[in-house]
Amino acid sequence: MTTLPARAATPPRTPARPTAPRRVRLLGRGAAVLVLTVGALVSAVPFYWMVVASTRDNAELFASPPPFLPGGRLLHNLVALQHSIGFGRVLLNSVGVSVVYTVLSSLISAMCGYGLAKFRFRGRGLLLGLVLATMMIPFQVLLVPLFQMMASLGWVDTYQAVILPFLANSFGIFLMRQAFLGFPDELIESARMDGAGDLRIFYRIVLPVVRPQLGALVIFSFMTQWNAFLWPLLMLNTEDKYTAPVALYTLIGQSHVDYAGLILGSFLATLPVMLLFFLFQKQFVSGLLGGAVKG
Amino acid sequence: MATGIQRRTVLTAGVVSTLFAAAGCATGGARKAGPALHSAATGQIKGTVSVWSWDVAAKALKRLAPAFEQRHPGVRIEVVDIGYDNAYDKITVGLKSGKGLPDVLTIEGGRLPGYIGVFPGGLYDITALAGRYRTSFAQAAWKYVTDGKGKVFALPWDSGPCALFYRTDILKDAGVDPASIRTWDDYIGAGERIKAKTGKKLLIMDPEEDSMFPMLLQQQGQHYVKNGLIAVNDQQGVRAATLLKTLADKGLVQFEKGWDGLVAATKAGKAATTPYAVWWSGTLTDEMKELKGKFGVVPLPAFDPGGVRTSNNGGSALAVTGQTKNAAAAWAFVEFMLADTANQASMLKAEGLFPAYLPALKDPYVTAPQDYYGGQPVFKTFADLASSVPPVEDTKDMPKARDIVNGTVSGIVLHGKDPKKELDSAAKQIAAATGRRIAG
Amino acid sequence: MAQQTTARKPAAAARAKAAPARARRRTSRTTPWMFAGPAAALFGVFFAYPLLAGLYQSFTADRDGVTTWVGLAQYRRMMHDPVFWTSLRNIALILLVQVPLMIALALVMAYGLNQSWLRFRATYRIACFLPAVTMLVAYSVVFRVLLKTDDGLVDQALTAVGLPSIDWLNSPGWARIALIGSITWRWTGYNAVILLAGLQGIGREQYEAAAIDGAGPATTFLRVVLPQLRPVILFCLVTSTIGTLQLFDENYVLTKGGPGNATMSPVLYLYKVGFEQLDFGYAAAIAWVVVLIIGLISYAQFRFLGKDATR
Repeated sequence: MTTLPARAATPPRTPARPTAPRRVRLLGRGAAVLVLTVGALVSAVPFYWMVVASTRDNAELFASPPPFLPGGRLLHNLVALQHSIGFGRVLLNSVGVSVVYTVLSSLISAMCGYGLAKFRFRGRGLLLGLVLATMMIPFQVLLVPLFQMMASLGWVDTYQAVILPFLANSFGIFLMRQAFLGFPDELIESARMDGAGDLRIFYRIVLPVVRPQLGALVIFSFMTQWNAFLWPLLMLNTEDKYTAPVALYTLIGQSHVDYAGLILGSFLATLPVMLLFFLFQKQFVSGLLGGAVKG
Repeated sequence: MATGIQRRTVLTAGVVSTLFAAAGCATGGARKAGPALHSAATGQIKGTVSVWSWDVAAKALKRLAPAFEQRHPGVRIEVVDIGYDNAYDKITVGLKSGKGLPDVLTIEGGRLPGYIGVFPGGLYDITALAGRYRTSFAQAAWKYVTDGKGKVFALPWDSGPCALFYRTDILKDAGVDPASIRTWDDYIGAGERIKAKTGKKLLIMDPEEDSMFPMLLQQQGQHYVKNGLIAVNDQQGVRAATLLKTLADKGLVQFEKGWDGLVAATKAGKAATTPYAVWWSGTLTDEMKELKGKFGVVPLPAFDPGGVRTSNNGGSALAVTGQTKNAAAAWAFVEFMLADTANQASMLKAEGLFPAYLPALKDPYVTAPQDYYGGQPVFKTFADLASSVPPVEDTKDMPKARDIVNGTVSGIVLHGKDPKKELDSAAKQIAAATGRRIAG
Repeated sequence: MAQQTTARKPAAAARAKAAPARARRRTSRTTPWMFAGPAAALFGVFFAYPLLAGLYQSFTADRDGVTTWVGLAQYRRMMHDPVFWTSLRNIALILLVQVPLMIALALVMAYGLNQSWLRFRATYRIACFLPAVTMLVAYSVVFRVLLKTDDGLVDQALTAVGLPSIDWLNSPGWARIALIGSITWRWTGYNAVILLAGLQGIGREQYEAAAIDGAGPATTFLRVVLPQLRPVILFCLVTSTIGTLQLFDENYVLTKGGPGNATMSPVLYLYKVGFEQLDFGYAAAIAWVVVLIIGLISYAQFRFLGKDATR
């Protein structure tokens, strides 16, 4: 039995409810807008302060009280950041690593999630257990043995060592499994009767239906790799190969911290993720509407 | 039919590794004796020497490496800035797994005893080569690069002799003569006067990452362990903790979080003094240019009249790793950087790294008046104190003790708990964690 | 391309109605592994050994640089370790308060963001998602500035409206509240995005059917949205619970577990034991107890909440 209907062509929106009195409805909407606005503001204020910090001198940030309006040192800080850690280069490194990771990991996670949700096979329980176990075990305790493995393979200071161990992403597999559980078996069955191969069914029929979750997975995978710090730091031993977070952390010194550069760098580093989020949000929200309903 | 997660599955998650364990996987076992470097390379050294460092230390290495390469044309120095914040995660993983380390590591003195004790063979034994420098380095700094048996595993770089930084303007407003602060009792008296006259606090502390307590212990000639026995709860320990508690109880402490909290509060002039190490000077001159002329330095107050007027906080060393394939060149580089008057002095001038190498303290720069301090030759004050910092016994259990004591001190300082009782309990926890006995 | 495939679906769906579901029995033995194989292989290669090594390590101790088998000694030591028990109590409190609070907020947020009449939806969505993309290093600096004693921005706001100033990070109670607040700040939008994706899957005619039955917004939410969303809510609940039980980032950067271990979590503690105290055997033992606890709680969540949700 399935609970999530796979009606991809229907708009996921609440239609007008003619039965509810207009005034009550407006009141409800007003409350909703208020809650959302407060939520959005609370979410955005710390972010706003990052903009303030990015445009100030390091020493100004320690003023009491801290500054609340942007200053005029954005360009200066930007030049300094490029000079101190070669920000452009490490950003490109990050893009490369994150894109490769995201494409492969999303695909592998979606496939595994599908396998776990829609097939019964020997070892399924064990695999699902392993997926959950890796999610449950604190990462910190895996560091040393995983590092030993990479070193034995001679992979230290390579990008494959950064990417490969975490390609099978238990969070993503679990997310996709939950999404596929709701997919009607009948659809798969009938496609099979039409003579479609399993892979074809997966790509052409099943995957498009879970596009919202797939979109979320892509964003999360990208974000995870993009912000990953400790593992890349352990793996990379050449400054030219550093990813953005690793390079930014070198701004934290023993008795000197370049906070302005640090915050400017982290702020700029969030922009690609925001862009991706924006693109995929649009994709997975309005893409499903087909052309049938106007956005 | 797609079913929910079965009981069996979740249980599998828990026992899956037990199955693996049943397959049998034994690692570890007895370790072989660590590598030792006995004589300097007879032939020409060559190859690449990679070095991990951070912050200004990395800058100094990068700046001076070309001079070394010029002297030894066959050698290339590769300095990697690994950042400070998680540097020890990276170093620890490398030492623990026996792989992936560079030829030379920067390690702070406080971390060395743990690494030397827990990872035998992790660092090169350089006793035969470095031994002759024993008297050239500050005694306290030399102590932390050696193990209990006197073997040398690193060469000291900079050191952190402590003194009392004070705000000249605030002390003047309060009518306190800095030269009159000779003991910690004087210090408390001055603090009360400052608070009454100016409303300012006396000092800034982060109770979670406290550097005061170990500093006060070292001033009394010990750390957490004495003659192999746990000594945090002895008379000296209780005396140090009681001093901190008194300062807090009298409302003389401004509590702040982390490095940024300390810097911000100092910049805002919330406290009149900072009992800290020499390298604090770099932060003042870099981050608080507008406070030029408002700071001065006097030796640390003593516990008893005529007692020791300094201690140590921080300082680092360069070590040759046991994993290196080019030990001779690595050692040559370490020696070039640290056992060299000109280079050590240039790192004080350019990067503010206060040399543990005593000959470098005779450099004219050290005795020169410093503009920032209104012409006071502050580095001379520190240089004079450097050789009288009491060396202390540290063991591989120091990291455990430090962690446990940190939590204890914050309880005493923030929540007014009884110093003796809390330190007794800390001593018991350290005993449980290390298997050591408690002194007395 | 996506457009084409969605267009095909109704036809396939119509045919599916006629065919009995025997999907699984008809596929070959190798088909499931075609899908699950790559991930299984990666897990097998990269995680089997570390998991195994970690478990082995928990039965060992370092004796003068030699790794020695000590049986259950590390686990016994845990029983008498006050810091470990404090960390468990802390995490239980945070779990009970923070996770339900966050999921409820995320649900409200997602439901609001899914309304067709809402203007500037994209702006709201991005604003709500901002915290999740903030790098940890910036997060730590920004929150310390916000929560600073005396002149932090939050404190200034409080005093501006006549409330007393609060020493956020130095008093155990307030430090816990600050921690709960900052975790919630960071992860609510993240969960809202997942829930929003789930909401997109609810068909229009279900809302219409509810409307025809005369259901108001509240009734629609309770009778249509919540039941449909159950697998997704369960997912958020399980992953958030795991995330909270593995709490490390936020208390590491904000309080380092203090004051006086008031915000110490088991994973921060095991990190300190392993990487600061260099006691890897004990750290591994703590890790496995954490895994056991997470496993039991996750199992309970599936058992009591997952029954019909995952059918």
